Amino acid sequence: MQWMTLLKKELIENWRNRKFIWVPLVFILLAIMEPLSTYYMPEILDAVGGLPEGTVLDMPELPPGDVLMLSLAQFSSLGVLLIVLLSMGTIAGERKSGVAELILVKPVSYTNYITAKWLALFILVFIAFLLGLAGGFYYTTILFGELPMSAFFYTLLFYSLWLAFVVTISIFYNTIFNSPGLVAFASIATIILMSVITQVFGHVLDWSPNQISAYLSQMMVEETVSKDLIATGLTTAGMTIILLVLSVIMFKRKELAN
Amino acid sequence: MDINWAMIAPLFVIQGLLLIFALLDWAKAEDYRGSKWMWLFIIIFISMVGPVLYFLFGRKR
Repeated sequence: MQWMTLLKKELIENWRNRKFIWVPLVFILLAIMEPLSTYYMPEILDAVGGLPEGTVLDMPELPPGDVLMLSLAQFSSLGVLLIVLLSMGTIAGERKSGVAELILVKPVSYTNYITAKWLALFILVFIAFLLGLAGGFYYTTILFGELPMSAFFYTLLFYSLWLAFVVTISIFYNTIFNSPGLVAFASIATIILMSVITQVFGHVLDWSPNQISAYLSQMMVEETVSKDLIATGLTTAGMTIILLVLSVIMFKRKELAN
Repeated sequence: MDINWAMIAPLFVIQGLLLIFALLDWAKAEDYRGSKWMWLFIIIFISMVGPVLYFLFGRKR
């Protein structure tokens, strides 16, 4: 099947340029540094020095759920930045270098081309996130106390939806702009703008994708999946699908115009 | 509180792996954005961030 061939090409490419190795490694680092640095904060401050003799540091005891959310916060900032940077050229770069033309000269459907790109990118991001979250979860339970396994799986499920959305935003701008730099800028700007809008109109936008972290944090405390979390997850999935369809349409238009 | 080095070891192992993979790729790559030796310094001397910068921006496709 054509679609499988395209997907395979993407996966092999991600393997050859080592993305399948370094992206998961970085995600694991991001996730396990939080519980470790939080746990050893007194030692770190001690080693750095500068505190007057006899200072007593009273670090608050963090519940394990909060520590896992710290790791997640790393994914929300640096992780998202990384995803945008590594995907900024996935279509835009191929167009610039002429590879896209080579592929699209053949009777390749635009839908197949975009969705294969999208899935390949999401598989990479998902594997990195899965390993990172597992690392963060492992350290959190060892250093700060037990967390129910369900917390792991729900975080995996719902946060993956948010990451899929981020991937889709990048793919969408990839279909519009030819310059990877512009794709990265537009993606980051969109995500920041969405988070600002969600903060300002938070009372109306209960189910904005940006709220997923907040509801996950609430889930850690209450140990139940709230209706809001499910609704936010569904909204995010819906927006992802709409954006993906829009990407195909934009791409078709742009290619036919050329 | 003692520092449990076994606990922190994975952090260094992963950093080391990132460094090694970046160096292997650097040695084999043919096209660089900017100078080849500049990237070697970035990979080795900026811990953690250096290899990532190299993977993201160092190579031409």
